[in-house]
Amino acid sequence: MTLLTHLFGRLANAAMLLLAVLVLNFCLIHAAPGDPVQVIAGEMGGASAEVIAALRAKYGLDHSVLEQLFTYLHNVLLGDFGYSYYFNQPVLGLIAQRLPATLYLAFASVMVAVVVGTLLGVVSARRPNGLLSHAVTVLSLAGYAAPIFWTGLLLLLLFGSVWPILPVSGMADVVHPRTGLAYGLDVLEHLILPAATLALVFVAQYSRLARVNMIDVLSSDYVRTARAKGLPESVVIFKHALRNALIPIVTVMGLQFGNLFAGAVLVETVYSWPGMGRLVFDSILRRDYPTLMAVLFFSAVIVIAANIATDLVYRLIDPRIRGGSR
Amino acid sequence: MSTVEQTLIVPRTEASNVKTAANAAAPGTTTMRVQPVARALSPARAALRQFLRSPSGVAGAILLLALILATIFGPMLYPIDPLEIVGLPFSPPDADALLGTDYLGRDVLAGLIHGGRATMTVGAVAALITIVIGVSVGALSGFFGGWIDSLLVKISEFFQVLPPLLFAMVLVTLFGPRLTTITIAIGAVSWTSAARLTRAEFMRLRDLDFIKASRAAGAGNWHLIMRVVLPNALPPIIVSATLAIGVAILFEGGLSFLGLGDPNTMSWGLMIGQNRNYVLDAWWAVTFPGAAIFLAVLAVSLVGDGINDAVNPRLRRR
Amino acid sequence: MMLSKRSFLTGALGGMALAGLPSETWAQSAGSGGGTLVIGSSQVPRHFNGAVQSGIATALPSSQIFASPLRFDESWNPQPYLAKSWEIAADGLSVTLKLVDDAVFHDGKPVTSDDVAFSVMAIKENHPFKTMLAAVDKVETPDPKIAVIKLAHPHPALLLAMSPALMPILPKHIYGDGQDIKTHPANLKPIGSGPYKFTEYKQGDYYTLEKFDKFFIPGRPKLDKIVVRLISDPNALLVSTERGEIHAAPFIAGVRDIERLEKSQNLVVTDKGFTGIGALNWLAFNTRKKPLDDVRVRQAIAYAANRDFIVKKLMGGKAKPATGPIAPGSPLDEANVEQYKFDLEKARKLLDEAGLKPGADGMRVTLTIDYIPGADEQQRNVAEYLRSALKRVGLNLEVRAAPDFPTWAQRVSNYDFDMTMDNVYNWGDPVIGVDRTYLSSNIRKGIIWSNTQQYSNPKVDDILAKAAVETAPDKRKALYSEFQKIVVEDVPIYFINATPYYNAFAKGLGGLPTTIWGVASPLDELYWATPPKI
Repeated sequence: MTLLTHLFGRLANAAMLLLAVLVLNFCLIHAAPGDPVQVIAGEMGGASAEVIAALRAKYGLDHSVLEQLFTYLHNVLLGDFGYSYYFNQPVLGLIAQRLPATLYLAFASVMVAVVVGTLLGVVSARRPNGLLSHAVTVLSLAGYAAPIFWTGLLLLLLFGSVWPILPVSGMADVVHPRTGLAYGLDVLEHLILPAATLALVFVAQYSRLARVNMIDVLSSDYVRTARAKGLPESVVIFKHALRNALIPIVTVMGLQFGNLFAGAVLVETVYSWPGMGRLVFDSILRRDYPTLMAVLFFSAVIVIAANIATDLVYRLIDPRIRGGSR
Repeated sequence: MSTVEQTLIVPRTEASNVKTAANAAAPGTTTMRVQPVARALSPARAALRQFLRSPSGVAGAILLLALILATIFGPMLYPIDPLEIVGLPFSPPDADALLGTDYLGRDVLAGLIHGGRATMTVGAVAALITIVIGVSVGALSGFFGGWIDSLLVKISEFFQVLPPLLFAMVLVTLFGPRLTTITIAIGAVSWTSAARLTRAEFMRLRDLDFIKASRAAGAGNWHLIMRVVLPNALPPIIVSATLAIGVAILFEGGLSFLGLGDPNTMSWGLMIGQNRNYVLDAWWAVTFPGAAIFLAVLAVSLVGDGINDAVNPRLRRR
Repeated sequence: MMLSKRSFLTGALGGMALAGLPSETWAQSAGSGGGTLVIGSSQVPRHFNGAVQSGIATALPSSQIFASPLRFDESWNPQPYLAKSWEIAADGLSVTLKLVDDAVFHDGKPVTSDDVAFSVMAIKENHPFKTMLAAVDKVETPDPKIAVIKLAHPHPALLLAMSPALMPILPKHIYGDGQDIKTHPANLKPIGSGPYKFTEYKQGDYYTLEKFDKFFIPGRPKLDKIVVRLISDPNALLVSTERGEIHAAPFIAGVRDIERLEKSQNLVVTDKGFTGIGALNWLAFNTRKKPLDDVRVRQAIAYAANRDFIVKKLMGGKAKPATGPIAPGSPLDEANVEQYKFDLEKARKLLDEAGLKPGADGMRVTLTIDYIPGADEQQRNVAEYLRSALKRVGLNLEVRAAPDFPTWAQRVSNYDFDMTMDNVYNWGDPVIGVDRTYLSSNIRKGIIWSNTQQYSNPKVDDILAKAAVETAPDKRKALYSEFQKIVVEDVPIYFINATPYYNAFAKGLGGLPTTIWGVASPLDELYWATPPKI
């Protein structure tokens, strides 16, 4: 099976999955108690029966559920995700405004986690029973067991109030808008706390994963051969062993995009990061159906995209499975 | 189904089992793990002995035991109602309230002791749901293969693409923030990794000679699944179940943090969620329940690790 | 060169960063007026058009962007704004407004009586407060600068209805294009004639307003720019305010937050500026459901609830107690009503009389209590406190959490509740924000913030009808006094407190908004007396 047909198959599969996501979410949300028109009326400060009827007609809520479902699917197919009840604007625009910030946070955290995690893992793998190795193990366990929102709150308390050296809210200084490099650094500074909080969980996992795999690889025959040939240890580790140890990390990284995304939601609420997190929260709290459905849809898109990308990368770095395993 | 999808998603299991799953998923592509078919010489006892040799596993077990005992007997020894107002709001830790009071003047220590019960129960029950659904789906899928497998894999794929916490948030919102809904929601969104793990084990085991022999001897499918394959697939499932408790506890915390906790039942997550807005003034009301969650998750992780090392000889030297 | 110690990254890079922002920052330090004000708020506006949207999240920007016929001072006196004068006819059936000559919209077009007529009718049509302009028949425009509002009957509430938060004058040439005003695209890119023009809205992050050069009051506004940052987490908002990254934090309702900010050397914290809004926090009863249909049971709960503890302890003394349906601070507030002083014995006796005898476990009955999700301190905390407090008289409360607002609204507006905490605004005149809760004609199933208590007292209906059209101030006040006494006696609602809204401002600011509408009216007088260092 060539890479192309494989990719095609994955994409077809993805389309089916997304359709299922749309239908299930629609059904779930419509099965629940609570009338979205109440929200709109409430948000407006209360409304008369006439206004409520008018709103219901406006948002098509006076049609049967089945009719609404087909209208919705049809519109989504045309790229129209509806109109947010709460934010009073097209949902697609809302998502487009928020998604980049979340992706930025997510990627930054993943990168930090992969680099730091792998390094820690590699270093500790060299002496599996050394002090450093144990320290890394403890750290990884601690990072995993600490609830992310709790770490976030404590870091906010520490760096926001006790020792106020880092910005704790927003994505950039809006009073003195900067451009170019200065803007980039400003955003970077705002990113430190959220990204560090989010990365902590994953650093824990990746260091552990890297450690286990490095130990495995370092005791394998070809590394022994490389060492026997008299190659310097650093070459052995970084050229031969690391490549193999990276494979499971890449795998896990792609698979965890869903968890990463969910973690970002929690972190964003703590640090007022202007991404999808607050949008998810608001659309759930306000029962803003169109926004909620679009948010779930796009998070599914991201997870699927991450899985496909991982699969491809995996095929590139691990020649063994190029033949396909179906 | 590619190899990638068959690896595990539950964070902690991955670390130790990623290889196992990969091996099982693509038979023939890498060396097969050698598994004792019928574990000679009381495998449970051997595993226990092995477990007791791991200091971190034992430490975890002691910690876990202490937490469980505290939540069982604590309320008798410290019979202060965690929902009752006993002092002024935001009293710092002192002799009256050892860990201070929260925004209503409720005793934080009482909250920790009584709330632990709810948290631990949610963790255990949600993990049980996770494992029951996951193992059932994985077993059927891996044992029968064919269209059953394809169908079940599709279903679990579907559950995998929705970020679990988001999906749980939606479920809890739709069906109301009560402890039962929260528990079911957590179980319902996190079973896929257990399913994948079980499926891989079953696929690996079903073609082994001793299974074929049982089948030839006239054993029915039900008997084969329950009595022959499942016991052999059990060790990784036990590990995964242990870790699922930790995940469920973290989930309960996350949901409560976002305001989706049950206000009629004190739990650690609820304490953090309700006190989060006051962290600048009353650090104790957030810090202690957070630390309790931390310790509980740490304990089950250590135990899970210990069991994993004990039942999985190949990983033992690590 | 002054560098803030707050940021090591920007600090390390100080030279570069400062080179990138030459004018604004340094103009501020010169102390020559102008400058930027950063407001921090957790209130996210749906949009910026107060003509079709009530609530403080929209009222704040809407009052900056749009001008209104009148504005009010600290003592409820109307002041000229877009209308340089106004005249009420002797029969009370028409109000003539003379508009200022040189008012223009942000796009340069003049403000005319046509725009006023269009806006008044649009608000009557679309604003959720139906009683606010219900008396308006039509608006006549004999002259481009003269608008005559014709009324079906006298309507003394009209003057307050012409406030900035309630009657933004919309440009007819933009909103009159036939599109539905409630979802008009211009609501998110508004054009008005107020002191600041809208420039940018970054969803979930901030929106910016800039000085309008051709504002019709000379020399105003004094600030160059207002940035409103939307910060969802209260801790982050607080920290940013303490550090001076945020210069004004309006609508702070958290007692702890208020106390904390009051301690800060760099801030002025005030509760002035909220009497117009008149936000009340209360416990509402379902008066048609057993056993709460018995007034004695409701009174018993009122005696057992201990308003004093809630206000002094739970809310740290930051909230004013509220004893009746009209908010404290309003000239119509009647203080001389039944206070329901904390009295457990009386409460038990009333419950016994009502036939609710304690069972073997000491409990008489189990009731549910709901609360509005998302407003923890005023709503959830009080509900949880009441569970603890009412247990002492044998009432078992089950706190029902609603995961989201619609769930709560659905329950309450369909009468599927025993008791609920609620938070309702007076909005200046009783006709606008008070009557709706008590008129039996406003018992409308499915509509939140109607008379969801299903309270019905013909005498109250009668008094409110008379007071709505009574133009003599003292007679009107007498009518409302009687109304308040009856309602408090009947306890469809147990009044607890005025929502303790506070504003925090940086010390360097002058011309603070302390009128009855506070920050929900134009901030054109606000200026930097001592500009901030960062």
